[in-house]
Amino acid sequence: MKKTKLGEFEELVLLTVIVLSQDAYGVEIKRELEDRLKERLSVGSIQSALKRMEEKGLLTSEFGEASNKRGGKRKRIYTATPYAHQVLAEIKDVRAGLWSSIQISGEGFKTI
Amino acid sequence: MGLFTDPPKLGHKVLKIFLKKDYLEEIEGDLEEVYHDNIELLGLKKAKRIYAWDVIKLIRPKLLKNLNWINKLDSIMMITNNIKIALRVFKRDKAYTFINLLGLSTGLAIALLIIQYVRFETSYEDYNTNADRVARITMDYLNGETVVDQDCETYAPLSPLIVDRINEAVGYTRAYNTGAETLQVGEKIFREMRIFGADSSFFDIMGYPLIQGDQRTIFRNPFEIVLTESMVYKYFDKPDVVGESIRFQGRQESASFKVVGVVEDSPPNTHLKFDFLISYASMEKAYNADNNSWSGNNTFAYILLQKPSDLATFQQRLIELNLELKKEERLEDENVIAQLISDIHLYSDKSFEPEKNGDAQSVFFLFCVALLVILIALVNYINLSTSKSLDRAKEVGIRKVMGSSLLALRTQFFTESFLINFFAVGLAIIFMIIGLDSFKNIASLPSSFTFIGDPQFWMLLGLVFFVSVFFAGIFPAFVLSGFSPIAVLKGKFGNSSAGSFMRKSLVVFQFAITGFLLVQTLTASEQIRYMRSLDNGFDKEQSIVLRTPSTAKKEEVKTFQNQLKQFPEIVNVSNTSCVPGLPSKEMSTTTGIKLSDATEDYYFNFYIYFMDEDFIPTLGLEVLAGNNFLPNSLNEKQVIVNEESIALWGIPTPEEAVGKTLDFWGERFTIKGVVKNFNQASAKSPHIAMVMLYNDGWGDYLVVKTDGGDVSENVRLVQEKFEAFYTNSPFNYFFLDERFDQNFRSEEQFKQVFGLLTGFAILIACLGLYGLSSFTIAKRVKEIGVRKVLGASVIQLIMLLSKDFMKLVGLSLIIALPVSYLIIDGWLDNYAVKIDISWWLFALPSVMMLLLSFLTVYVKTYRVAQSNPSGSLRDE
Repeated sequence: MKKTKLGEFEELVLLTVIVLSQDAYGVEIKRELEDRLKERLSVGSIQSALKRMEEKGLLTSEFGEASNKRGGKRKRIYTATPYAHQVLAEIKDVRAGLWSSIQISGEGFKTI
Repeated sequence: MGLFTDPPKLGHKVLKIFLKKDYLEEIEGDLEEVYHDNIELLGLKKAKRIYAWDVIKLIRPKLLKNLNWINKLDSIMMITNNIKIALRVFKRDKAYTFINLLGLSTGLAIALLIIQYVRFETSYEDYNTNADRVARITMDYLNGETVVDQDCETYAPLSPLIVDRINEAVGYTRAYNTGAETLQVGEKIFREMRIFGADSSFFDIMGYPLIQGDQRTIFRNPFEIVLTESMVYKYFDKPDVVGESIRFQGRQESASFKVVGVVEDSPPNTHLKFDFLISYASMEKAYNADNNSWSGNNTFAYILLQKPSDLATFQQRLIELNLELKKEERLEDENVIAQLISDIHLYSDKSFEPEKNGDAQSVFFLFCVALLVILIALVNYINLSTSKSLDRAKEVGIRKVMGSSLLALRTQFFTESFLINFFAVGLAIIFMIIGLDSFKNIASLPSSFTFIGDPQFWMLLGLVFFVSVFFAGIFPAFVLSGFSPIAVLKGKFGNSSAGSFMRKSLVVFQFAITGFLLVQTLTASEQIRYMRSLDNGFDKEQSIVLRTPSTAKKEEVKTFQNQLKQFPEIVNVSNTSCVPGLPSKEMSTTTGIKLSDATEDYYFNFYIYFMDEDFIPTLGLEVLAGNNFLPNSLNEKQVIVNEESIALWGIPTPEEAVGKTLDFWGERFTIKGVVKNFNQASAKSPHIAMVMLYNDGWGDYLVVKTDGGDVSENVRLVQEKFEAFYTNSPFNYFFLDERFDQNFRSEEQFKQVFGLLTGFAILIACLGLYGLSSFTIAKRVKEIGVRKVLGASVIQLIMLLSKDFMKLVGLSLIIALPVSYLIIDGWLDNYAVKIDISWWLFALPSVMMLLLSFLTVYVKTYRVAQSNPSGSLRDE
């Protein structure tokens, strides 16, 4: 049984964090996801997903460097925990399992 | 790059308020970065808009500050902790808690009662949704430029004319008081006073929707009547009464009125209370009133304005109308003016008011005093809790050392004051409910008046509560939390001079208020006693006044009168149109009665009495010159006048007035006699000018003067004879002295409410003094022990301990007495006759206060001075 529930959007954010690795901070995650999803996201939606996952133990974070563009405020760089990798793998397995059963029944359809 | 425009400042501020502190830097940074990216990509305007949206979208449970705060339940824990400690403090010192609670709750209960009274007095006409745009038309009588009298009643054709000529006036209704009538339905016969002839618009304008009947069709014809619900129960055995008829005895062969509608009873808070309304058209048919006449003004008139803001314009237009009407010779020396009906009860005191009105000044006065009483109660709390601070100084010190913040300490003290006040409000409501009935009696509030449904009352209660929490909490919170922990813990604390100065000045303040209240109460009761003791100019004792039946013929009245005179118990009987003590509306008035040889015009208002030759002896009036009327009708074209009248005509002595002639009503009258002034209302109002004409048997009243025998026996005798003589007529009577004394009712009421307030103020102040003295004396127990061992006597010790308090009370008297002098001087100016302010009005309250405070302190000082010194010296 799954103990950790991961929402769809959270899953996307988590994957993005892993993809970006060293560059995984708020705005970069937002940019990456906007590119991939082709829609505008608000800072708030990304941030609340990040904070939720941090609380669930899926992410850790530390302050990174500051920049002029940020008005001298530091970035917070997020890193996925091993637990997160495990949860993601489990989800992937469940999905893969589901997809494979769809293909089987789909072929059954065709034969009729 | 180079394009470093800062993001909007507002966004930053908003974020700072609601965002969790830990997240602030990161998220703000993110926002700013996105903002700058967007400026490059989309331009400044769009970037700003997106920034704003992003800020708004940040309002999410995960990111918000406060929710986290609540999650941790810190504050709730602190509040429960505060409450726990507060309750422990209350429990530990029961006397302190008891004094505080009792003081605050009596103060609040008193305030609640007074607030109800004030609410009632200010709620007049509230029931009427039109109240803010209905104006009553009244008339000012002028003598040259000065207003000599104000009259509520106007000419019948005036109000239709106003609606006709002034655009702001959109409707009118008149109300013509018919006077006493005897009404009959089947076997039921009652005498009724509150009957008004009214226009069909009355129901809309005055806010009385019909419960039965059709408003659109009624009051078009004469002899139609509408009655109130309680009259339905009084006269009929069934609820549906439309179509029934009511007989008016003695009017036009016992005129019969058709019931066309029923309305709710008039509420207690309206100036115009009625039981019956008859169609205005009936006035001409049944009362010979001429609805088009400009010679008699006998009707109240109300004008409906288009909108509330029209009043000023309307009043302006009336000034112009007055000029027009004078040109048209409809008005002579009168001015028509307007007042809002909601202002009538508190601000109007004209002649012919439908009922005795209230007085804004005394309502305001009482309200202020109620506030003072609360203030005294609050001062108690402040004083007790700050003096108790001596006990709690160590606690505060320890708390501070342990790292308690100022805010936390203050919250603690506010919690205590909140709790005490909370309990006090609870107790106060209980006290108030207990005292409500007797208070309603004293303040003559109608028993049907209730505060429960009145939102304003609850709002005021809430306000009083929070104000008292605030003021009771703020001093302890700031004084106590301000202690320096080091000084306190070293034990150096104890005689902070600032704290004791404040306490002392508050005690002075309390007792100054109490002193003033005492002086005012004493003055009020002295003034009333004085006014009652004044010679009213007539003998009011042992007189029974009865109403003649409205059906009575004048020969019958004479016969009945003579019949009564046969009895030895009955000294004299007089038939008259009015007696002293009745409101001025029972008399008629005539303006501008003048001497035949007068050269100048003057327009004073004269009140007319119609009476027989027995009136002067029955009431014991003093004839100063000339003679009384002769028996039988030998008095044609002769009048008796009073001193006030001849003064207005400029005749120096009564002797000179006799034989002079007067012109009014188109005829010439000779002055037959001059009587000494007597009071019509009471000694508080000035004498009015009276002209008395002879009446043989058609006055409304019979004054029966009896010998000093058993009163109820005499009443029974008169009643027996009345009922035997007039079968089918109700017997109504009153005692002349009782009715006359009712004119002091508002003064009596004021005195009683004021006395009540004063009593409680003294009680609360003494409670406070008691509490304070116990604390201060407790601090000096050891000193007393030492003194006693060294040989001080009990009396010396009591003097020593009381001295400080007596000094304070003395000081408060020094402040209170001059202020009281000014206030009572102003108060007495309201009266035409008034007492001289004498020294003992101040001396008595002073002695009382000194004695009371000495006794209060004595309870404590005596015990300490008496105690065995070894007891106090041994401990430690």
